[in-house]
This record gives sequence, C-alpha cells and structure tokens, in this order.
Amino acid sequence: MMTVIGIILTLILSVLFPGIIAITKAKVSGRKPPFILQPLFDILRLFRKTTIYSTTTSFIFQLAPLVYFASVVIALLFIPFFGDTGVFSFEGDFVFFAYLLAFGKFFMIIGAMDTGSSFEGMGANREAFYSLLVEPAYFLLMGSLALLSNYISFAGLFSALHFNTDLAYLVIPVSVYVFLFITMIENSRMPVDDPKTHLELTMVHEVMVLDNSAFDLALIHIAGWLKFVIYGTLIANFLINGQESTLIKSLEFVGINILFAVLIGVVESFRARNKLAKNPQWIIMLSALAIIVFITTLIITSKLILN
Amino acid sequence: MDYFFILILAATLVLFALFERVKKFIFLISFQGILLFGIALINLLHIDTLELVLILLETIVVKSIIIPVFLRKLMIQNQLKRVHEVNVPVFYSIIFTSFFILGSFLLSSFLQLPNINSRIFSIGFASIIFGIYFITIHKNIFSHLIGYLIIENGIFLFSVGVGSQMPLLIGLAILLDILIGVLIIGIFVNKVKDRFQSIDIAQLSQLKD
Amino acid sequence: MLLYYFIFSLLISLSILFFKKKKLSNSLIIVFLLGQIAITLFAYQHIDQTDSAFFKFDALGILFTMVLSVLSIASFYYSRFYLDYKDSSIKNESYYYSLLTLFIVAMTAANFAQNMAILWVFVETTTLFVAGLVYFDRSKIAIEASWKYLFIGSIGIAIAFIGILFISVVDIKNGVMALNFDELIQHTKQLNPLWVKISFLFILTGFSVKLSSVPLFPASIDAKTVAPGPVNALMSTALINVGFIAVFRFFVVFSHTDSFLWVRNVILIAAISSLIFSAIQLFKVKRYTRLYAFSSMEHVSLVLLGLYTGGIAYYAAILHLVFHSFIKAGLFYQITGIKQTYHSVWFKDSGNYFRIRPIDALVVLLGLILITAIPPSGLFFTELTIFKGLFLSNNIFIAILSLLLLTVIIYIIAKKIMHLLYGAQPKTYKETTNTSNRYAFIPVLILFALTIFIGIHPPHFISELINSSIVLLK
Repeated sequence: MMTVIGIILTLILSVLFPGIIAITKAKVSGRKPPFILQPLFDILRLFRKTTIYSTTTSFIFQLAPLVYFASVVIALLFIPFFGDTGVFSFEGDFVFFAYLLAFGKFFMIIGAMDTGSSFEGMGANREAFYSLLVEPAYFLLMGSLALLSNYISFAGLFSALHFNTDLAYLVIPVSVYVFLFITMIENSRMPVDDPKTHLELTMVHEVMVLDNSAFDLALIHIAGWLKFVIYGTLIANFLINGQESTLIKSLEFVGINILFAVLIGVVESFRARNKLAKNPQWIIMLSALAIIVFITTLIITSKLILN
Repeated sequence: MDYFFILILAATLVLFALFERVKKFIFLISFQGILLFGIALINLLHIDTLELVLILLETIVVKSIIIPVFLRKLMIQNQLKRVHEVNVPVFYSIIFTSFFILGSFLLSSFLQLPNINSRIFSIGFASIIFGIYFITIHKNIFSHLIGYLIIENGIFLFSVGVGSQMPLLIGLAILLDILIGVLIIGIFVNKVKDRFQSIDIAQLSQLKD
Repeated sequence: MLLYYFIFSLLISLSILFFKKKKLSNSLIIVFLLGQIAITLFAYQHIDQTDSAFFKFDALGILFTMVLSVLSIASFYYSRFYLDYKDSSIKNESYYYSLLTLFIVAMTAANFAQNMAILWVFVETTTLFVAGLVYFDRSKIAIEASWKYLFIGSIGIAIAFIGILFISVVDIKNGVMALNFDELIQHTKQLNPLWVKISFLFILTGFSVKLSSVPLFPASIDAKTVAPGPVNALMSTALINVGFIAVFRFFVVFSHTDSFLWVRNVILIAAISSLIFSAIQLFKVKRYTRLYAFSSMEHVSLVLLGLYTGGIAYYAAILHLVFHSFIKAGLFYQITGIKQTYHSVWFKDSGNYFRIRPIDALVVLLGLILITAIPPSGLFFTELTIFKGLFLSNNIFIAILSLLLLTVIIYIIAKKIMHLLYGAQPKTYKETTNTSNRYAFIPVLILFALTIFIGIHPPHFISELINSSIVLLK
C-alpha cells in the first residue's frame, strides 16, 4: 500500500522537481519565474520531434538512452518508502541498486564515446571519473548504516535507523550531508557541474548528450528527474522513521522532497561551480567524511572498543 | 559525548587537508581550540575552579583567540598569498588523512593501552601524525607554523588523555612557553618575509655545504 | 635560592635591554657573573638539597653548572671582541647581552631541574634564546639558521613532551603524578614496558636537537654554523651538556626498569649513526664553524657509546663532556680571531695563519691536538676508558667500527686545520692593523691547561661529583 502511494508520489514529484528548482532560482535572482510544468512541456515537445542519428554511430548509441532510462526506472522500484519495502527487496539490494545506476551510466558513457566526438569523449571521461570517485563514499556510508542497523537491505536499513544513542545525532546529519552531495554529483549538478554552462570544454553531463535528439533526449531528461527524486526519497528515508499515520508520512515525504528541490535551487544560485581541477579532491572529501561516519558506527556498535 | 567532539576534530583534520586558503586555516585552528575545550572539560577528573580557569585559558583564550588573532595579523602584514601551494596534490592528501584517522583509531583499539583514555589518544595521535604530514607537504613557513599548532593541539589531547593534571604553576609555565614560542616563530616568519621577499621554504637552503 | 637567582638575573637582563648604556651593561654583566659564581658555590654547598620546590642541587647538575659558569665568564669576555669586530650599535649590543644572560640562566635552571615538566620548560626556553642569539648577525643565512633551529627545536621539544607525558602515566590511578625524577625511580616497578620503550624514543628524539645527535642534528649544526663565536662556544658545550643531562636523567630512571636493554640499544643506534653521519658530513664541510660543530657531534656519539657500555664508561662519558666543553669552547673563541684575520670562516679564504698570527696559530694547533684526543689531552683518557669498556663487554665489532670512523674524522679535522695553519696565503687576504685583542688567547690557554691538568690529575671534588651522579645507575 505504502509502496504504491510512494511510487505515485514519486512520479508526480519527479515532474514537479525541475520546475521547483527553476522557480527557486528565478525568485532568488529576481526574475519572473516560469510555470511549474514548463519542463514537462519541453519534454512533450521533444517527443513530437523525429529522432536523427549521426551516420558515424552504431546501434550502441541508439540503445544507450533506452538502457539508461530502464535502469533508472528499475532502480526506482528498489527504493523503500517510509518503513515499507520497495517493490523489489532482498538482502544486499543497495549494492544492486548502485550497480544498476552504474550500468545505465556505463551505457550513456559508451554511447557518448560511440559518436566519435572529442567533446563527448571528454565529458564521458569526466563523468566516469566522478562516478568512480563517489563510489567509495556511497558504499562506506551504506556499509556503516548496514553495520549500525544490522540489516543489509534498504528497507531494513532505514527501518532500524533510530536516534537511540547520542552518536546517532552525529551519524545522521553527516550522512545526510554526504548523501546530499552524492546526489549532486550523480545528477551532475552544481558543485561539480553547472547544467547551464554554455562552454563545451567545461561541461560534464550536458556535453555527453549533445548528439541525442528528440525521443532519446526526452528519455534522458526524464531519467535525470527520476534520479533526483530517487535520491530525494533516500534522504527522506533518513529523516522519516516515526510511527505516524500514512497521511502525515506522505506529507512529510512531499515536504522533504520539495525542500530538497528548493535547497538545490538556492545552492545553485549562490554557489559558484568548483574549478574542474578541484573536483576530484572535493569529491574524495566526501569519502573521508564517510570514513568518519564509518568510525562512528564502529564505535556505536562496539566493534571498536576505546576505553 | 566526548566522541562528538573527537569525531568533529577528526573532520577538521580532513578539512585542513582540503582547504588551501590561509584564512580557512586560521579559522580551523580557532575552531579546534573550542573543540579542545569541550574535550578537556568532559574528561577532567575533578574540576576545581583553578583548574577550570587554567583549561579555559589554555584552550579558549590562547588557542582559539590569541593565536588566531596573531596569525591573522601576520597574514595581513605579510600579504600572504591566499592560496598556498602544496607538494602533494590535495586529492592524495585527503586519502592519506583519512587513512591516518582510520589507522589511529584502529591502532588504539588494537593496543588497548592501559592507564590512558584511548579515544583521546587516538585522535591525538592522528593530529600529531597529520601535523607532521602537513608540515612536509607545505612549501611555505607560515603553513609550517600552522602544522606546528596542529601538533601542539595533538599533544594537548595527549595530556588530557593521560589524565595528567600538572600542578598549576607548571601548567602555566608550559602554557606561557608554548605561547611565547609561537609568537617568536611568527615574528621570524615576518623577518624571513622582509629579508627574502617570500616565505617559500625553497629560499631557505643556503646553509648547506 | 634559585628563585631569587632568577629574579635577580631577569632584572639584570631587562635593565641591560632598557637602559642601553655601555658602562652600565658592563658593570651589570660583572654583577651577573658574580651571581652565577655565587649560585654555583651555593649549589655545591647545598648538595642534594631541594630548592624552590622543583629544583634539586644534584651532583651532575652542579658539575655541569660549574663548567657553564667558567665558560660564561669566558664567553662574556670574548663577546667584547666579537661586538667590537662587528662594530655593532649599542642597541644591538644590549639585545645581545640581555639574551646571552637569559640563555645562561635557562641552562643553569635546566641543569638543576628535578621536575620533568620544569626541565622541559627550560630546555624549550633555551631554544627561544638561542634562536634570538643566532639571529644577531641579521644576514640571510642567520635568519635561515635561526628559523630552522627555532622550528625544528620546537617540534623536537614537543615530541619530547609526549615522552614525558607517557612516562608520567605511571601511578596516575592513585592520583599521584610522578613528575619528579626521584619519585619516579621509586615507582619504576609500576612502569609499563611498552610506555617506557615508546617514551624513551620520543625523549631521545626530542632532546637530540640540544644534544646534536641523530635524528634531529641538522638544525643545531646549521645554527652553530652562523652563530656568533662566543654564543657558539656555549651552544656546542654547555647546551650539549643540558641535552645530555635531560637524556641522562631519564636514562637513570629507565636503568631500573626491565626495558633497560632496549634503551641501551636505542642509545647504541643513536651513537653509531651519529658517528657515521658526522664522518660522512665532514667530507663535505667547507667552513670552520661547521667543522667544529660536526666534531662536537662526534664527541657526543662517543659519550653515548659510553652510556651504552656502562660500568666505568659512565664515569668516562661524563668526564668526556667536561673536557670536550673546555676544548671546544676554546676553539670557538679562536674563531673570532680567524674571522678578524680573514673576514670569513670558509676554508677557501684561509691559510698561512702561522705567519700572519703566530701565537694564535699555536693555540689553534694546541686545540687540534687536544680535540683529536692526543695525549696529554684529557679526552685521551676518557676515550681510552670508553673503548676499553667496549672491548671488555664483548662489543668488539662496535669498537672497531667506531675506531675506524674516528680515524677518518680525526684525519679530516687535522687536514682542514693544517690547511688553516700552513696552507698557501689566500689571495683574498688583506693586511689589517686591528690588533685590539693581542691577549685574547690567554683565557683559551687557561681552558686548555685546565683540560690537561684535570686529565692528568683529576681534582678530588670532580671525581666525587661524577661518582655520586652515577651512583643511582644500575
């Protein structure tokens, strides 16, 4: 029951998400905000166009957006919704989840390489590198949470996450912080990549999809929105684990996701993008913080006994 | 509760490796002073007013007010470059730092040292190792001073971890000694800058035969 | 009593600094030196008594303070020539005198410190004063040397503090913090062997800046390269003695623990590696100050070898330091003369000293004979004793290795000084008419004569002081 409500809410939110970010950015910079569904209209327009493939590309280029979209949609089914399990749930599913997304990303990367464009190769290179760097942070964090809750599936992990010790007050904020920026990196947003940049040399994600058009491009965009909401839901799971009624939980869920979108908008308005050369060190810093979370959980679970 | 301060202190070490600006170093030094106060206060065996005053003097007044203000003055006087170059890329420094932290926690858990508070021992150990590392990777003497201060903070943690409560007079003497040492090192940073027009350590290599 | 001595010296130092009057400074220095002699005699009168809560007039402290007092008189005497040669302003002069006074006070205090933390405080204080004195020259290399000394010295001392903390862990459960050496000796049974081992490593590392032995010797060598001659004379003698006293006090404590063998092995490694380093570095040196500094390092490593050997070699090691202090100080006082003649301390700028200044050259030659431990030098007897101890305790390999290294070192030192005395006159040499210090060699001769005299016929009080300072060793 919860799962169905959750998925419906997720789908609705994913449509609103880019709109909310756009509105926030417009408000902060004093412009007239666009209509909230404007991104959706853009996508619908893309659907009406005909897809054009370059003659230098092979079937991989045509396959890549589909695989990417499919991987994100399946990943969505793994997400637990406030205490309830996801559609699929088994032990170690968070590892599967991570590699499912990585699989989709891998296809996007080889699709971009397939075009033979030097810009796209560069973008693919960066995207692969950042994903590689962010992986230790993700697994250290999830591993710590698994250690803390004694479960190795998403649902169990979040259901057993309680503020039962003092140190949990340290674990959860730092985890949320790290997760927030994992989201930003995985979705190629502000501190590492600026979606609004106009120079191909400094792009990361945007440059990879230069050759995609119409239907393919629309799929890629939708997958991007879904990914946002997936991570938003995971963050919401950190924060919601009470015994309230479904309605309140749903409201909390929607609220946190909207807050998340607004936060992204605000961060993107005020923060300049990192220098490209500084990105790796910034991303690895998240892993270092995750190691501190890991040490904390070792202490909480008395694996590390310090008198 | 002291775990809270200890782990935040560990996070400041990571930030020391990440940041490259003098201003942020000074901020972190000041912040560490406050954290040290928290750790010392929790671990004092029996608090009496005089000892509280000494701890307060040592951490808040000296470590997080006087020294940072002095460093700031140095920074402005010498028009230090905002960004300080390092020998080792920051990326690797962060990896090393996290291994220092993880390693020192595992080490102190493994050793199970008697007579010492091993939580504080572990972070103190990490601070000292990191301070030495910080000195070796930085190319200018102002950053070396910062590294020295990190080591001093680590040693302060050790002295709390050992549970040492020095007689008041000796505690004051040690505090005064360290403070004057830091001030004189700072003055020498000024002199080097005046004389060599730079605070790069590469300048200081004329003595070799 | 020491407390009054501190206040008295601090007042003198401050008034030298503030009034900046030449006559006043000179008379205040004489007053200070009288005070220094008085505190030495007072300490000798009150041997083994606690003073000012944290200090104790023990035998080793008294012996080294006697050496220090003798050398500080000579140092102030030679400072006059040095400052005249430098033609420094009255402002710089008062800065120099005031720091030198405080430096001597800090060393005296460190000699008598009975409390580990107080010992630490005063050793750290000497670092600060030495840095100020090395900076006196204000040249680029002076800044470099003083920065390195200050920075590495501070870090080293910080490391030594960790060692002190670890050793003070003993008995903390009972609420007693055993910071006094005497108390600590009674509690050695409770010491955890692991802590003992780690803390000795830290302590040796930390004080090696003062001792100028491995591992942190480069800072002290650099500082000695550029320091003013009279300051240098104290740095490579009295300050080394302070470093030795610091290590020795812990050594005495550790001799009562089960880890003593380990501690001795660490000392052996430090000694042998110092000897090797100094032998290698001596091939590269190009300055007389540096030559003498590395020669000090060599003698320190012999002293450490004595500590390793034990038995009669303890006695020899301490006596060795006394002799070395007098001889090395004499050689460093002569440096000012060399500087006045050649305006440089580089080998390439020197030569033919025997023709230019025959008497000074004769003194340098005598110094060379003494420092290389050729009889009648007192060092001959001490080195003989140390090596005898090594052979008798079945350390034949170590003894042969160190003797070989010693041969190399003596060869290099002799070669360089022979170059100074008999080498070709350098082209850069210009005749000067500065003869203001015609009698400057006399105090050096007195020091040398003292060495020979004590070596041949050690006065009763010296052997008694040494014997009572090693009586606690096991």
